[in-house]
Amino acid sequence: MRVVIGEDEALLREGMSLLLERAGFEVAATAGDGEALVAAARRERPELVVTDIRMPPTQSDEGLRAAIEIRAALPEIAVLVLSQHAQRRYATELLGQRAAGVGYLLKQRIADSDAFLADVRRVCDGGTVLDPELVGVLLGRARPDDDPFHDLTARQRDVLALMAEGASNAAIAERLVITEKAVVKHVSRIYDQLDLVPGAAEHRRVLAVVRYLAR
Amino acid sequence: MNWSSSVRTKHRPGNGPASPRAGDLGPHPAAGEPAAPSAPAASGATAAADTTAAPASRDTSAPRASRAPRRRAPRPQLPALLLLSAAFVVLGAVEAALLLSQPAAPWQLVLFPVAAWSWFAAGAVAALRRPGNRMGAIMIAGALAWIVAGLANAPIPALAAVGLVVALLPLALVAHLLHAFPSGRLRGRASGAIVAGLYATALLLHAPSYLFRPDGAGQPLTVAERPDLVQLGLTVQDAVGAGLMLATAVLLALRLRASTPAQRRVLLPLALYGIVAVVLVPLLSHLDRALLGGDQLTLFTAQVLLLSLAPAAFAGAILRGGFAPTAGVRELSAWIGADGGGRATLRDALADALGDPSVELVVWAGERDRWLGPDGSPAVLPDPRSGRGVVAVDADGRRVGAIVYDAALIADAAPVREAAAVIALALDRERLTAELIASREGLRRSRARIAAAADDERRRIARDLHDGVQGRLVLLAMRADALAHGAGDDAALRSDAEVLRAELDGALAALRELVQGVLPAALVERGLGAAADDLADRIPLPTRVLAGDERFPVAIESAAWFVIAEALANAVKHARARSLEVRVAATADGLRVEVRDDGAGGAAAVTGTTADGGGSGLRGLADRVDVVGGRLVVDSPPGGGTRIVAEFPCAS
Repeated sequence: MRVVIGEDEALLREGMSLLLERAGFEVAATAGDGEALVAAARRERPELVVTDIRMPPTQSDEGLRAAIEIRAALPEIAVLVLSQHAQRRYATELLGQRAAGVGYLLKQRIADSDAFLADVRRVCDGGTVLDPELVGVLLGRARPDDDPFHDLTARQRDVLALMAEGASNAAIAERLVITEKAVVKHVSRIYDQLDLVPGAAEHRRVLAVVRYLAR
Repeated sequence: MNWSSSVRTKHRPGNGPASPRAGDLGPHPAAGEPAAPSAPAASGATAAADTTAAPASRDTSAPRASRAPRRRAPRPQLPALLLLSAAFVVLGAVEAALLLSQPAAPWQLVLFPVAAWSWFAAGAVAALRRPGNRMGAIMIAGALAWIVAGLANAPIPALAAVGLVVALLPLALVAHLLHAFPSGRLRGRASGAIVAGLYATALLLHAPSYLFRPDGAGQPLTVAERPDLVQLGLTVQDAVGAGLMLATAVLLALRLRASTPAQRRVLLPLALYGIVAVVLVPLLSHLDRALLGGDQLTLFTAQVLLLSLAPAAFAGAILRGGFAPTAGVRELSAWIGADGGGRATLRDALADALGDPSVELVVWAGERDRWLGPDGSPAVLPDPRSGRGVVAVDADGRRVGAIVYDAALIADAAPVREAAAVIALALDRERLTAELIASREGLRRSRARIAAAADDERRRIARDLHDGVQGRLVLLAMRADALAHGAGDDAALRSDAEVLRAELDGALAALRELVQGVLPAALVERGLGAAADDLADRIPLPTRVLAGDERFPVAIESAAWFVIAEALANAVKHARARSLEVRVAATADGLRVEVRDDGAGGAAAVTGTTADGGGSGLRGLADRVDVVGGRLVVDSPPGGGTRIVAEFPCAS
């Protein structure tokens, strides 16, 4: 697996490179700003791009814009964005209408290497990973009375939250200490509540997450 | 330009005094022909020459010029003017009777007293309405000159002699009015010299025509019969008069160029009229044959009318036009005593009183050692050479301020000083107001500077925390993680390392919260819309955010974010609302932020309290908005929800 890293701070860039190389990734290139990152991705065509959001020269959302550009131009590349602060708007923009092979995590998550590498692999496999903190915000977010999320039970919301974090049905079953069959039932009830028409399971899963974000 | 054309006409060959004719000569009652009166300037000498042929009389009981009270004081009172007008009515009537009593005297002789009355009326009105302006005094002097000049046609030789001497004076007076307009005082040495020269021409250079008149035998003033000297005198008078009027025209042209457009509109017609009058009156005598068929009476009537309208024109220009009427210092006192309802500003009242619409007031801010305008802005006193006069205003021996006025319009500072004494206390009040405004503006600026400095500092801290501390903590956590993974069989080490990593994770979360509170990442990275979204996501009430992606100056964005955050927090805490709405929109000149809820209402920014004591936050909001020059409006009727609107000008 080849990866391109976008990070302007040298020590963190090295630390991340080391971590990913130990996990078996090949770091094809690193970039210190958004423009260089897009160029590296176009040149190297890696399987994965991992990038920080705040980068030179504007020190605002350079990395996010580079990530969105890469996802649009090179849809086969999985993209994982690291953010200082969990923001729904960034996640919404990053996912767009194609919540596959994409992840949005707080930067500090890289220090928990096991969980981080698992998330990285899920993203590489075409999954969607949202930071638990962001998911917490989404769960806790006040919604208008007529919002369909009000009709979800507490357990269904837990399941939806874990779906958004990128967990598989098996993982959800393990986390919630219920059977996988029960998880499947909850998931289909969630689809019903959110008016998601039957289709490919993975596609509906993604749509649920996107709806979850957008509302 | 010819000051003595008719005199010269008189001495043309074949026009000798032995056979005077109406076309050439003035009244000659002795010859039994209808006497043509002569205009003082044009044919006064002629008239006088002929009049001297009338029976001489030693009777001096006729009114004399010296008996007319002379009012040249800057501020004649109404009673004095009434007395004067009575005197002029009597003088004029006596003169008319005297002139018309002569056998076959033409009725036009009555135009002398009529001209005098016209000059007096104009002068009296000007003096009444514009005390302190000397134009009125000059006109009243002119009226006297007309009365005396009219005597040239009197049947009494002594009176006629006096009339002869001043025959040309009204012309010089018109020129004087021209030079002295609008203040009545001569401006500059050139004006003084020209006017003095004109008077000298009218009085002294005119002398040879009666001292050496060829037909002057037996006349009181004639010393020798020398036609050559008369001719020489007339030539000199002509040349000097022409030169002086040319100088007058040049001077007026220069003044016109230097005056404001408003002044020019008034000055230009007057200058043209004055010059035309002074030039045309003598010239008419040259042209009389061609234009008027030699009708000396018609010529005379035209000349008198031309000169009689002059003071009316000047008086009109002073009272109206670009030169405002004066309300007088007394009215100014009354104005100051009046209560404030609907009254104009002190400056306007002063401008009325002084008749100078350009009057400015400045106040002296002693503590700051500088002059201030009434609005508290710094002011500079004009250069004395700029044509602006300055009179200091003191109250109780303290410098309070100053009156800046148009020195061209008000030559005499005395009325300005008088007004200064009257307005001293009122101006002192304005001074306090101006100082207050200035200090408040200074305070606002200093608060804005402090707020901006605090803002910069917050941004710097947030950046340092993000770029420095956070990165290092993440690195430390990564090392703890690596330590845990490298611990192998050492369970205790792995456990310690994992605890360390978890603690660092907690520290990072705390740091994130801290940075978020100091300056939200979304505000720095994306602006108000994203920051408002972020706030809305984290509060327990459904909140709609309507915001674009526009960016605003950092200080404004910070203050607006503070307003949104505080207003949302207040609503959650106190409003008992079901839903909230945030609107962020760019306006024509800045930014408008609105936060509304559907709660209990009853919040008030002014009193700083709500029913449940939640208003102190609103007070803080108002301060925060005020610092960057914005405005906070809280609309919170009990039971009607709360709407908080902050508007920020982006120029500041």
